[in-house]
Amino acid sequence: MYRRIVKLALICLFADPNFLNAQDFKILDRMVQVHGFASQGFIYTNDNNWLTMNTSQGSGAFTDFGLNMSAPVTDKFRVGAQVYDRNLGQLGQYHPSLDWAVADYRFKGWFGIRGGKVKTTLGLYNDVQDQDFLRTFALLPQSLYPADIRDATIAHLGGDLYGNLSLRHHLGDLSYTAYAGHRSDSLYSGIAYIASQYNFYYLRYGGLQYGGDLRWNAPLKGLLIGASRMNEDLTAAANFINPLNPGAGIIPDNERSKTDWTNQFYGEYTVGKLRLDSEYRRFVHDQTDEVAETVILGTDTDVRGWYVSGVYRVMKRLAVGSYYSRYSITRSSAGPLALLFPDQTDTSLPANHVYDKVISARVDLNRFWNVKVEGHFMNGYGDSTYPDGFYPQVNPQGFKPNTNALVIKTSFHF
Amino acid sequence: MRMGRRIQWQSLSALLVANGLILLASLQAVAGSVKVIANSSVKSDTISLVEIKRIFLLEANSLDDGTHVEPVLRKGGHLHEAFLREFLDTNDDSLQAYYGTLVFAGKGSMPKELSSDTEVVGYVARTRGAIGYVSTETSTEGVKTLTVLNAGNSAQRKLIKRVDPEYPQTLKRLSIGGTVRLEVTISRKGDVENIQLLGGNPILAESAIFAVKQWVYSVSHSRTTTEVDIPFDARP
Repeated sequence: MYRRIVKLALICLFADPNFLNAQDFKILDRMVQVHGFASQGFIYTNDNNWLTMNTSQGSGAFTDFGLNMSAPVTDKFRVGAQVYDRNLGQLGQYHPSLDWAVADYRFKGWFGIRGGKVKTTLGLYNDVQDQDFLRTFALLPQSLYPADIRDATIAHLGGDLYGNLSLRHHLGDLSYTAYAGHRSDSLYSGIAYIASQYNFYYLRYGGLQYGGDLRWNAPLKGLLIGASRMNEDLTAAANFINPLNPGAGIIPDNERSKTDWTNQFYGEYTVGKLRLDSEYRRFVHDQTDEVAETVILGTDTDVRGWYVSGVYRVMKRLAVGSYYSRYSITRSSAGPLALLFPDQTDTSLPANHVYDKVISARVDLNRFWNVKVEGHFMNGYGDSTYPDGFYPQVNPQGFKPNTNALVIKTSFHF
Repeated sequence: MRMGRRIQWQSLSALLVANGLILLASLQAVAGSVKVIANSSVKSDTISLVEIKRIFLLEANSLDDGTHVEPVLRKGGHLHEAFLREFLDTNDDSLQAYYGTLVFAGKGSMPKELSSDTEVVGYVARTRGAIGYVSTETSTEGVKTLTVLNAGNSAQRKLIKRVDPEYPQTLKRLSIGGTVRLEVTISRKGDVENIQLLGGNPILAESAIFAVKQWVYSVSHSRTTTEVDIPFDARP
């Protein structure tokens, strides 16, 4: 095993760049492009276990990879698909998924449509949150891009309208995306995993998702400003075992969140070798649980997060970065089971927030392979019914208020 | 001993500064020697900076006149970096990351990348709608060289009448070429009112100015100014 890893590393490091470039081949006189990526991470934390891994002992259960193919059918029509697989502690568990599969017709620069399973445009990084080789940080700010619940926003089965418009009078460019479709969560995601601790075992989770994104490339060189909105109407079916009466056996549970919404505002400024980002997201989740058409639990959850980050490219192969990320959650419950879920209202408590200070360095060994080293200094653990990185199942001894984490990650792509 | 070291340091510093200046000069020289080429299926003889940006950032797959276009890139090198800096306001690392966001999110395909000017010219010549860039010294037989209109809104002033400059035979025989850069003021009616030389060989500039004076643009509600690059290809 060790020899195979060393061999692979040497191939990545010294292989002919042409070998590692995207692989192209022709089918029916159409050029098909093949691209792929893989990453392996290691996380060590001093106290709480993080992201469903046994990180306090050091964990390498942090792997993902993907492979895509795309080809133009005509000048304006393009098709493609990507398969993605991951293992993140207790999540993913190497169950591959169709990440995206799109047919894209671009009528003009200002108007195109794409349909199929489409990556959702939400803020700066949502649709490329798995491709960490595209940025300096090993982990994106978890307040906005939680790795454990990527399924919640990553893609929809439906369609997008999109385009770019040049504004008159040197006012820059506008890019827009409007979308509608169906979200379908993996049963190996953080939402299913956290529910299992309350004896809810999901059979399916998903629903309608629609919204839009508008971003403005301002006349000031390097400045991008944007806003995204997402509305959701979600349903779930689960098997529930009542902890107050386990002898009753499996009870079918239906969940509904009719009026969930997310607002996200963002800005990015690049000047020379420096890049500054900032984003704010608010997510409101309104859920009712019904057993035999009787509401047993209603929860209103309000999640807010923001971050400010800076990245500086010191030299061609070295970049350093830092961000400060703030996450807070409030929740109120109603119904017969509400006594199991006391309200969360005070965001100054460690149980209701996660504040994360991060420093990171990225070294590009070559054009295709990089290594990152990152330090996270977190306060709070956001213990709630909505997942946020810290799970009681992997912290049976209870949570401590602070967590420091060392993240080492290497990524390869072609 | 100390004095000797100081002299050594001073010599080293002078050498570094000189090298820096040479490097800067050579980069500037490279930046001025890029020309944009297109497949013969591209109807227009001109292209604006805005159009180049939108094509190479994969935001557009056709020109305003409906012609299909696809970008072709050089794979690294000084010329590639100069093109990115001058025409796209970016660098290769940022551009590759940008393409990556499209490719891995299913929102675009990686443009063709080729290793040499010869390969770029060959690919552009045989690929409908292909638009690339090469050094001004590269022979561009089989493809057309596009005049780049630099002003941000120059796409709104369409070039209606274009007169090609005459290449002075003496200079051509001596293989003296390059790009002449002009700032052109266009009247509301579309006539060229004023031309200011921004750079290039003075003799070539004279010929370029004589030709551009005869150009006619579309009518506009106000007088506009644009930058025009006129390449003179020295190769036979």
